[in-house]
Amino acid sequence: MSQACAHIIDDDEAIRDALQWQFRTRGVECTLWPSAEAFLDAWQTDWRGCIVLDIRMEGMSGLECFDTLIERQCSLPVIFITGHGDVPMAVSALKKGAFDFIEKPFSDNELIERVERAIALDTERQRAAADRGTVESRLASLTAREREVMELILEGKYNKVIADQLSISMRTVEAHRSKVFDKMQVRSAVELAQMLTTLKG
Amino acid sequence: MPATTTLEAPPAPRNAWIGSLPYAALVLFLGAIALLVWLTREYDADEQQTTLITDVLWMEQNLRFQLDRNEALLQQLGVELLTAERPSAQADAQLRQLMSQDRGIVRVLWINADGQIMGALPPVLDSGLVGEADGAVPAESVMKLARAVGRPVYGPAYPVVGGRHHFEVHVPTWSEERFAGVVVAIYSLSDLVTRELPWWFSERYRVAVLDPDGREIAAKSKIAPLAAQRSYTTPFEPPGHGLTLQITAYKGETRWMPVLLIASIVLFGAIIVWSVWQLRRQLARRQAAEQALRNESAFRKAMEDSVITGLRARDREGRITHVNPAFCRMTGYSAEELLGARPPMPYWDPDQLERTMEVHNQVMRGGTPNEGLEVSLRRKNGERFDALIFEAPLIDAEGHHSGWMGSVLDITEQKRARELARQQDERLQATSRLVTMGEMASTLAHELNQPLGAIASYNSGCINRLEAGQLDAAELRDIHDKIGRQARRAGEIIRRVHDFVRRSEPKREALLLNTVIRDAVGLIEADARKRRMRIISELAPDLPPITADPVMIEQILVNLVRNGMDAMADLPPEQRQVLIQTRQRNHMLEVRVTDRGCGIDPETAARLFQPFFTTKAEGMGMGLNICRSIAELHHGRLTFEPNPSGGTIFILTLPIERP
Repeated sequence: MSQACAHIIDDDEAIRDALQWQFRTRGVECTLWPSAEAFLDAWQTDWRGCIVLDIRMEGMSGLECFDTLIERQCSLPVIFITGHGDVPMAVSALKKGAFDFIEKPFSDNELIERVERAIALDTERQRAAADRGTVESRLASLTAREREVMELILEGKYNKVIADQLSISMRTVEAHRSKVFDKMQVRSAVELAQMLTTLKG
Repeated sequence: MPATTTLEAPPAPRNAWIGSLPYAALVLFLGAIALLVWLTREYDADEQQTTLITDVLWMEQNLRFQLDRNEALLQQLGVELLTAERPSAQADAQLRQLMSQDRGIVRVLWINADGQIMGALPPVLDSGLVGEADGAVPAESVMKLARAVGRPVYGPAYPVVGGRHHFEVHVPTWSEERFAGVVVAIYSLSDLVTRELPWWFSERYRVAVLDPDGREIAAKSKIAPLAAQRSYTTPFEPPGHGLTLQITAYKGETRWMPVLLIASIVLFGAIIVWSVWQLRRQLARRQAAEQALRNESAFRKAMEDSVITGLRARDREGRITHVNPAFCRMTGYSAEELLGARPPMPYWDPDQLERTMEVHNQVMRGGTPNEGLEVSLRRKNGERFDALIFEAPLIDAEGHHSGWMGSVLDITEQKRARELARQQDERLQATSRLVTMGEMASTLAHELNQPLGAIASYNSGCINRLEAGQLDAAELRDIHDKIGRQARRAGEIIRRVHDFVRRSEPKREALLLNTVIRDAVGLIEADARKRRMRIISELAPDLPPITADPVMIEQILVNLVRNGMDAMADLPPEQRQVLIQTRQRNHMLEVRVTDRGCGIDPETAARLFQPFFTTKAEGMGMGLNICRSIAELHHGRLTFEPNPSGGTIFILTLPIERP
């Protein structure tokens, strides 16, 4: 997995250079791209971080580039840089799921703060995705009977009731219960419920 | 309903036979005439036949009487001829007379009881020579018969030399109770027939004697009758022996009177028939023409009712004589209200009576121009509308000019649409100008944003370093170099804009202000007419020339006049007037543009020349600003002051260059 960094796409060299300098002073990694086409050509699905995209560019515009990224199911947060009068375009981009937009000229560290937030969001999403993967693999390791027992535990039923319902002995239920807790790596029914809620959420 | 002269439909024939009565009467009349002619002719023929028979009977009677008389004479002479030695002189004379008179007797012989010819007149030299045909003459059998019966007996006819026919009569004679002999008279048939008939008879009829076989053996005339239809045959007795008389009427002379009468009757009848036929044809033609006219009239009427153009006819005095439904709809008056109306018409706009009257008189004098006349009219409900009128002279059937037919088009909607289109067009142009300007401003903003954005970022980075206390002099110097470069880049953009603006410097040339003003007025005049504005120029003569850009000065004037017109849009048309004056003041020329509009309130006055300030819905707020800039470029001034009689006066002053 590559390291999180900000991908700056702008056709103005001065802007790219200035942003790189500013980002460096705040310790944010960044990669510079002179055009949307160059970025799209190089893009990999496992890239992390965020994209800083100028709306008005020679060749492919920022909005076109954004559309292409949505098509390719790129989940990186996108921050648009707009000039004077491009605000309506930026708003429509926001509606399509862009992370944010910022108007030129930017004041102080406004942009960099948003970039940091975007990278944080991306990292968070990444972690959530990873968690989900773990829970899913643990769930997959349960046997059919164990899964049945787990469902009933989640409904908050006592061992005795579960035994009656499944027509098995209390002891067997207890054995299943401890197996489920082991496999799901939880200590209590409450913890188990929390874990599964996260998965659904 | 408009008064329309419609042709009445012809009454349906109540009785079809009444129509054919004249023809029936004519046929009967002609039939009666023909019958009359035929009857007359029949009657005529009957009459002629009767006359013929009467004449024939008379002739037969006449012949018989003649022959009887000859017999008596011969009997009387016979005694003396046969008994005396020599006939007495008296007898001789009587005999000769008998011969000489035209009685048809060619010879007389007297024969004694022994059959010896005692004598003859004319004398016969040899008794043998007497026989001229079959048998002896005189025929012995006849003589015997005469002696036996004791009275005259006629012998049969026989041919003699020369194709003629003779017959004889034997008259027995007794003397002292003793048969003394016979006197024979030989008749020539043809002589008898020819000579014994009076002239008038032979003129009328052809008389022929036919033998028993029907052969003609003697005739009064050699000419055959022209028509044999009227003839009569009667037995010829004496002499008998099968001889017949055939009398044929010559064709009687044509009796001209009846012929003429009949001919004229026939002629007149023919004329009557012909004229009736002609009359009938003419009637049919007339009916067809009427039908066509009725159809045409209905067609025209439908056409007239369907058009949305108002039509109205006026006589030469201007009285309305006809209006169509469209005209009634247009004006709101009914046809009854309009017919006979005289000018001023009820539908004239009372505010423009004078002008409308003028138009009316112009029409009465000689119609309208091809493009029509525009007048303002008023409906019954008081609503005004603009109409376009076309007039054409109305020429009646005799070719007299009897009035005017006018078509009236309601062009209110059209004018409104045109005006709307014009306004929309102007708005569109204004919008497009705005869009262009917005585009330019946006481009400029983007261009400037690039270096400014870069500078801001470098700057933020530097501050970040300062706050973190990581000061690397070389690095910071490099960054500041970059900041300086971006600042120069921004300056370059500003300089480019300035260059662009500088390119529209005035092109100065010597010009006459009045000429420029006239050009400007020419440019705006069409628009002014459309908006019913009047532009009045009061230009001072002999103004010195100035050095200026004519296009720019023209632009100022067009702008000022247009502003003046916009200010007066709500005034009644007669008050809409822009006055342009020029005069010289010391070393300046002054142009005053005066309107009578709503004037300028102090608040507006303070911002009047500011860019992007406007009081108009579609305005850009650049007009007066540009005007003042142009004035200043020419070292002149543009000011304004209120018009004492309402409105505003804009004053443009331009310096006269000293030579």
